[in-house]
Amino acid sequence: MGSDEVLRTHLQELRRGTVVVASLIALRHPDYGYALLQRLTGHGFPVDANTLYPLLRRLEEQGLLTSEWNTEESRPRKFYRTSDEGESVLRRLLDDLAAVQTSLTGLIEGVGR
Amino acid sequence: MTSLTDRYLAATLRAVPAARREEIATELRGSIEDMIDGRRADGRDAEAAEREVLTELGNPAQLAARYADRRLQLIGPTYYLAWERLMKLLLSFIPALVGVIVGLVEATDGNSGDAVGAGIGAAIQTVVQIGFWVTLVFAVLERTNTSLNLPAWTVDQLQEDYVNRQIKPVDTVAAIGWLVLVIAYLPLQHFHSFVPGNDGENLPILDPALWSFWLPFLIAVLVATIGLELAKFRAGRWTWPLVGVNAALDLAFAVPVIWLVSTDRLLNPDFVNRWEWLSREENLNNVATFVIVGTVLITAWDVIDSSIKAYRGRQ
Repeated sequence: MGSDEVLRTHLQELRRGTVVVASLIALRHPDYGYALLQRLTGHGFPVDANTLYPLLRRLEEQGLLTSEWNTEESRPRKFYRTSDEGESVLRRLLDDLAAVQTSLTGLIEGVGR
Repeated sequence: MTSLTDRYLAATLRAVPAARREEIATELRGSIEDMIDGRRADGRDAEAAEREVLTELGNPAQLAARYADRRLQLIGPTYYLAWERLMKLLLSFIPALVGVIVGLVEATDGNSGDAVGAGIGAAIQTVVQIGFWVTLVFAVLERTNTSLNLPAWTVDQLQEDYVNRQIKPVDTVAAIGWLVLVIAYLPLQHFHSFVPGNDGENLPILDPALWSFWLPFLIAVLVATIGLELAKFRAGRWTWPLVGVNAALDLAFAVPVIWLVSTDRLLNPDFVNRWEWLSREENLNNVATFVIVGTVLITAWDVIDSSIKAYRGRQ
């Protein structure tokens, strides 16, 4: 049905920005691509690999993540960590997310009355 | 033989900027191997796991575009409307103009049979050229993020009464179509009137002597009338300046025609003599009177009609 497709695109729109927020939170503890993917999925943020890997590089270029190669294990892995700048951006984003939630709650109560 | 992963990496990295290629290669290979290991831990065999992982990562070209932050569109929303507008503007008259000019040149060179075909061919080529170059320029702008510095949209641009505009697009197209046909016919009848002379040669209907001045003048008036139609369409209604220019162009066409007819200089004497009925003095005079009265009536009606419309549409 068409309505499933409509719902899917709206959910996708709603979720799009949250991947960045979730990644910045999760990478307060350094991690590499695949492990981060697993963690995000485990916490209810299913994200496509072909979206996440390029996203990590982009956030690094923007200075929101720092990275370090770990060559001690069987294969070399690039570990990302949220930078100080990333942390301050994250706080702004979380504030805004909370503001959206507050506004929605207010709106719902206002309409319900 | 290379593994599927090797081939996938090669296909992806080909489209990634060279400076970052090696690092992305190492990281992406590690991620793919991690994903394959994850699936094998779930009990898949190595080959099936590799296929699944690469399928999940999807088209290498698309993945590379995401790495390079490259746009997967020729012209995006920033430029699309400007592109569309420019295309419509250029395609609305340039191909037709080029076609008519090429046709006329061909006809005056004496190749009247090829004139129509050459004109249409030139018009089609012009469409293709305009489409290609305009799109190319906008695609480059899209990729270089060049600002067009176009004036921002304001409410003042809203056209009043757009739906009920006096001048409908179809009227303008029809009027210009007629004018183009008439312009094309003037040289065409000279080379190909479909009236054979007594020796089987082609007989022009209009006096060939008029080509020294009066026919080019009439063609110039008709071309100017096309310009008037475009100006009228832009204005959306008859305005008093348009009525004035229209009347001037009407007179510039009608007065020479009436004068040429009344002095028996419009029609080709050989053409007149070809027909026994027409070559009789009183019949020729009747035809002349008919043409003069018709021209006066049409001209008067056009001027009055445009004045009435301008009066009704005044603001």
